[in-house]
Order: sequence, then C-alpha cells, then structure tokens
Amino acid sequence: MNKGLFAFVSALSLLVMPGGATLAQQAGGTPILSGPLVKLDIKPAQIETKRGTPKGTLTVAQHFALDPGWLNPQTHSYVLTQMKYDYLVHDALIKSMPQGVLTYSLAEHAEMSADFKQAAFRLRAGLKFQDGTPLTTADVKWTYENFKGAYAKIFKDKLASIRVVDDRTIIFNFKEPFLDFITLYNGGVSGIGWVIPHKYYEKVGSDGFKTKPLGAGPFKLVSQQAGSQMVFEAWEDYWRRTPGTKRIVVKGIRDPASRLAGLQTGELDLAYGMTGKLLPRVMKDKNLRWDENFTAPWYLLFPGYNEAGSPFKDKRVRQAVSLAINRAFLSKRETQGIGVPWGNWINAGNPDALRGDGKDLPVPEHNVAKAKQLLAEAGFPNGFDFDWYVPFVPYFDMGERILVDLRAVGIRGKLEVLEGPAFRAKMGRGRKGFQGNRTLVQNIDPRPGGAAASIRVFAVCGSPSSFICEPQIEDLWKKHEASVDPEIRNEVLRKIQHFIVENYLAVPIYLNPFVHAVGPRVLPEGGKGFHRYWDTMNAPYPWPWEVWEVKADK
Amino acid sequence: MQKYILIRGFYSLITLWLLVTIVFVMVRLSGDPVEMKGEIGADPTYTQQLRKDWGLDRPFHEQYASFMVNLVRGDFGHSFEKSLPVSTIYFERLPNSLKLGFAAFIISIVIGVPLGMLSALKVNTWWDSFGKMVALLGLSVPGFFVGLVLIIVFGVNLGWFPVLGKGQSAFVGSEPSTWVTFWFRDWGHLAMPAFALGWYFSGAMLRISRSGMLDVLGTDYVKLVRLKGVPEAIVISKHALKNAMIPILTIAGLNLVVMLNVAIVIEVIFNWPGVGLLLYDGLTNRDFPMVQGVVLMSGVVIVLLNFTIDVLYGYVDPRVRLSR
Repeated sequence: MNKGLFAFVSALSLLVMPGGATLAQQAGGTPILSGPLVKLDIKPAQIETKRGTPKGTLTVAQHFALDPGWLNPQTHSYVLTQMKYDYLVHDALIKSMPQGVLTYSLAEHAEMSADFKQAAFRLRAGLKFQDGTPLTTADVKWTYENFKGAYAKIFKDKLASIRVVDDRTIIFNFKEPFLDFITLYNGGVSGIGWVIPHKYYEKVGSDGFKTKPLGAGPFKLVSQQAGSQMVFEAWEDYWRRTPGTKRIVVKGIRDPASRLAGLQTGELDLAYGMTGKLLPRVMKDKNLRWDENFTAPWYLLFPGYNEAGSPFKDKRVRQAVSLAINRAFLSKRETQGIGVPWGNWINAGNPDALRGDGKDLPVPEHNVAKAKQLLAEAGFPNGFDFDWYVPFVPYFDMGERILVDLRAVGIRGKLEVLEGPAFRAKMGRGRKGFQGNRTLVQNIDPRPGGAAASIRVFAVCGSPSSFICEPQIEDLWKKHEASVDPEIRNEVLRKIQHFIVENYLAVPIYLNPFVHAVGPRVLPEGGKGFHRYWDTMNAPYPWPWEVWEVKADK
Repeated sequence: MQKYILIRGFYSLITLWLLVTIVFVMVRLSGDPVEMKGEIGADPTYTQQLRKDWGLDRPFHEQYASFMVNLVRGDFGHSFEKSLPVSTIYFERLPNSLKLGFAAFIISIVIGVPLGMLSALKVNTWWDSFGKMVALLGLSVPGFFVGLVLIIVFGVNLGWFPVLGKGQSAFVGSEPSTWVTFWFRDWGHLAMPAFALGWYFSGAMLRISRSGMLDVLGTDYVKLVRLKGVPEAIVISKHALKNAMIPILTIAGLNLVVMLNVAIVIEVIFNWPGVGLLLYDGLTNRDFPMVQGVVLMSGVVIVLLNFTIDVLYGYVDPRVRLSR
C-alpha cells in the first residue's frame, strides 16, 4: 500500500463526514479546505462579554535578568521564559490555555488536511493590534515567512506556499506531510504563531521593536530598564476580556533570598523558584501562599554509558543507581514532601508522556540491598568509584544528597559544581559535553512539544544534545518519522519511553515542584482560589496574565 | 606644561588600549557564549545563525579589528543577553550607579572623616578606641553581610525601608523625571544599599583621616601655633584641618571611582539596577560586548580621573612637571 493511499485510509479511520465536509469546530462554521480532514482537538476560547475595569499593580520577580529580546517573537529562543512575555504583549492563532493544550485564540477555526499537507485558519472578526491597526492574515503570513527563531528551519523546510484567501482566511501548503505542524505552531511551543504587525516591524526594525513592541495581547509595554525591570499596562480593548490588573511590573531579581524578602515586605506579589531552604520559610509565613507548579521530573543520565570501560554500561549498574535513591526522603528534604516520586523522565504535562505514578510506568523503588546485590552480580561487589556527579545548577544540595544515597550502596563519586551557562553549554553538546564515561548528570527539562520533543533531543543518536544512543530506539524513531498515522506515532513514542525507563537509560527521580509564592494582595484572598492562575497545563509560568487580579492600589 | 599634558594623554590612551585588548582576549577565553546561551536541543542552523549575528563566526583577528573600528565610532556592539546596544543599556544604568555611588560616598565621608578627626584629637582615649573599632568593623565586615543584615532587620522585620530596586525615579512612562527629582526621589530605596556600600569605605576614610590629622598635629608649625597661645579650636580648624584634608581628598576621589564601578555585590543583593549588575550579568552569561563595554567605560573613568589628577599635580607642583 503506497503512502498516499495509506494516509487516506488513516484519515478515513478518523472522524470524516461523507462528501468531504469536516466535523466543523464549534466556533468555526464554513470549512476552508476541501477533501478529508483530520480531527483537531482545539478547545474553544473563553471570551468574557462583560467588560470590567482593570485595577491594581501586580509586581512579579523573575529569577534572572530580563532580556528585551523576549519582547520580539520573531527571534524567539528555545527558552520557555520568553513565552511569558508572548502571553503578556502578543497573541497567537492557537495557544495553550487553561481550557486545553491547544486552544483557539486569534483563530476561531482551524483545519488540517488528512494528508497533513495543508493547514488552514480563520481569524476572528475585528481583530486589531494595540495601536488600533487591523490584524489580518497578511500579518500572519509575514510573521511566518520572516520568522528566525526556534524551529525556523523545520517550518521553512516544510513550507511550499502560503495562500491568503482573504483578510481572515489563510492556507499553509506543505511540501510533504507535516504532522507536527499544529503541535509546533502552538504558541505554547514555539514563537512562529505569535503574530507581529509587519508594517510596524518593518518601520522600526528589530531593535526598535524590542524597545517598543506592539502586539495584540492583553498588556502593552510602557517602560523598561533593560535587564532589570519591565512595566506593562492593561490593554482594555483586548478581544478576549479586559485584563484584571491595571499594571504588571516584572523585576529581574536573581537572589532567592531577596525575592523572599520582597514578598515579605509587600514589594513583590509573585515570585518564582521558592524552593529548597526557602520553602519552609514561605510555608511558615501566614501572609504568603504558594502553588506547587509542577514542571517536570528530575532524572539522571549516563554520558558515554555504552562505551567500553564505562561502569554504567551494564544495565544492572544503572538499575542499582536507581534503587539507591531514596526518592521520598529526597523529596521531603528538598521540597518539603511536595515532589512526587515519578517513573518517567519526560514532562508529565505532555499528553503523550507516559505517567510515572504507577499508571503507565511504575514508581521506582528504593532498595539498598537489591542495589548491592545487582552491583555484585555486575562485578562490583565492593562498589566502584566514578568521576563526577554533575547536578543541575544550582541544586547542589540535592546533588550532595543523591551522592550520599549512592555512597550507601558503594557507588562513590565527587560533586562537580558548575555555573549555569557552563552547565547548559555541556548539556547542549550531549554526551560530548562530558569527558570520560564515568559521569552522572542530573537534569530536568520541562520542554513542551510532546514526548517526541524530549526524545528527539536526548535519545536520538543524531541529535547534537543526545545522551542515549540505542539501535532499538533508532529503529523505532525512524518508524515514527516515516509514519503519517498519529496512532502509530503515539504507539512508537510509548515504546521508546518504556525502553528508556526499563533499561535505566534515564533514571527518573521525582516530579519537581518549581514553587511560586504570592503575597497577600493577590486575589482572591484566603482559600485556594488563587491556584486557578496555574491552571494552564504544561506552563512553567502562571499564564494567561489577563486573568490575574490584585487589590486596587492605595 | 603642554608637553607634559600631551605625554600624560598619550600614556592614558595606551593604558586604555591595553585594557580593552586584555578584556577582549580574556572574555573569549571564558567559553563559547552561543553554547552557553542554553539552547539545549537547538537546531544547528539556529545556533549557526546566532553565531553569525554575534560576529563570532569570523576569525579572531577580524573580530578584534571590527571591535576596534566600532569602538572609535563609539559603538560597543549589541549585548548578547539583552539584545540591545551596549551603550544604550550602559548609559541608562549609569545614573543609577552615580546615585548609589555618590550616596555611599557621602555616607563614607560623614561617618569616616569626623570620627577619624575626633579619634586623632582624642588620641589614646576611649573616643580613639571607639573610632578604631568602627574602622576595624568597616574594613573587616563585608558589605554583602551588612546588606543582608540591613534587609532582614530594617526591611523585613521593622519594615522601615524597601528592600528591592531603586523605586520609580527616572523611568520612561512614569511621572516626568528631571535630574533634580531623580536625585531626591525614592531616598528610602537608596538608604540601605548606600549604607552597605559606604560602610567599608567609611572604615578606610576613618583611618586615613586619623593618620592624616595625627601627622599634621605632630608638625612643627602646629606646635609653634600652640606655643603662641592660639585657641585649640583655631589651631585645628584654621591651621591643621586644611593640610590634613589633602590625603583625605585624594583617597576620597579614588574611593568614589571605585564605588561607582564595583558595587556589584550590593547591587545584586538589593537588585539595584546599576552598572555593577550589568557587569555581573555579562560575566555570568558570557555577554562579551557587555563585559567589554562596562570594563572599558570603567577604565575610561579611572584613566580620566588619573589624568586629571596628574595634570592638577603638574599645575600645583612645578617639580612634578619639570621632572618628567
């Protein structure tokens, strides 16, 4: 059966109405494409027709310096933090919201052809940018064609042409099936879907745009001191609703103790990264509240594990490493017990990630005796020395605790303390970033884009950041890339995840809470209602921002 | 005198050239900023584009030549981390550093000089012991510790002062801010960081003041004035003080330059948006243009100051200009 026919049959197996019409999306109406379509699970937007008045100032502490480049989606980086600013100033055709990982935003209707070679969107009527100029499909087209940021290559390589049908309707034509288009075009995954006013951008240029960005999002930038502070004000004509707060001030505050002090004095309303030693103080302070904000699981990797001479070449040794870690105790010391021991290394927020709570993958056990027995069977009855344990910066305390656990079973090593950029540089080079093959690396990676994104980066031999290289995974991955059937692709991804975990190629630890704390001015006061700000799945920050409410300024 | 000024000017330029060259080389030895930007899983095309945009795909000598040519034109390049021209960011931050530096300078003078003078005038009394103890604490207790204690006590526990940032003065989009209001607004935000920064220098000023005054009080002309029966207050204020101030002013000027340029730790703790924090961000993120720009500007200030002092010495003391 050739590929085209196979694709057609696969599409027919999905929900396709006779005569070539689609299951129209709830808000969509008239179809755009002819021919059979794929069913897209995009949730409708929640539009509030009753318009309130924004009030108060929300002051947010970002845990590193601010980059004006984050205000320009055209050069969108892979760093998730930039999306926080996308959600503030700009808007996308589809993006992750509390309603779902894929939710309509600027677009009210989307279609994808059954052969995945065409995608179409219809914009809402009456959209405009913050300066009042209309937002049309010409801007959507220009944004796509001039995008230079993360994933630009794949978007450009796959694209055949873009057809603007009218001011609200646009069709993307691809050279070959682009199954991941909707996933990657999601504003919660990449920057290409965040629409830029192309005439304004061409007039002011990239630097001008970073200084004075213009978007269609709920907040406008009113001032910034590069690196230290940005001030945003509500745009009351935002199509979805009037923002709850009048002003949002974001400050770059690197020191966690300073962030906590700011919360306690009332200078800050929201601070990120209140973990480790600060968490008990946050919990003790009756004026503060906190949200767990689970991001992704911690896990260990073994660079060069499959090379001769590596003690981690034997699966039993890697399993011993896993058995040695007392996850419950570690979670208690590091996160006051909030962290959840987890059996997968991939971000649980991804719909295609296997759950590591026993539902899909078992929670790893802690068993010192079994670990020692396995080490003895593998030829290390007295344990062994390895070179370095490299913790994720700056979780050095956690690294020390894991080293203690490993030492208890006879696996002895030293802690290598790196600074953030140096650690990231090494991780970016994958196995090649670490000398020798007797190193353990601790990592966490809350990237969106599905399990495929994590596997593609860390577990495919050809990836520049690969740590895992196995023929079986390569075969499965080839099958994944060659298939145009989402069911087959999902099945392959499940198999790869099983393989990696069951062979201890990545050793998961616990699902990490990157705790966010709020002060007393954040509404609603009392109770647990404030947790709604973290309802968006897979979001490392509490967007969307237009729903935030604080007490009015005095 | 003209020849003297030209020679000093030439040496100043050589110093600056050596400074920028050394910084240019050293930042490039610290690692690859493209890799360190942390784009794990980035497409190689993306990182290649980044390398090209940052000019790091060119050979070392071409990068240097381009850097020097741009420098002559006043262009320090684009910050890798903050994506805007370095000069724009630097001059935006400079007033904040000036404000903090001058405030810390005033604190160091107000605490150090009177206590030092008193210590010298009441030598070997408990005043002197008190002064020496303050000097010891100032020089041995690090500024970051003082800052953290201030935050906890006066910020968090007592709530007297805000603990973060510099307030709203001089922000575009806020109330119109003139140079006058910039200097006098939000002094509450300034109090603790200025004290933490000035604390160390107050200890140094105290010791200099004490020793300077003691030296002057021990001179023959002061002894003669006392023998003539002049009241002690006149001896101190009219005869001793002016001469005691010479070394104090010299050191104070140098301290001011240091305070303007190296308040990194204080700026990080208090999140004070000055040039020190810029340098810190630049170093930790391998932002070559930022580090080069900040170090160069700091160097320019120091070199200019030294040049000015040298020229003034030449005017004041003919032996200086004739001997060179």
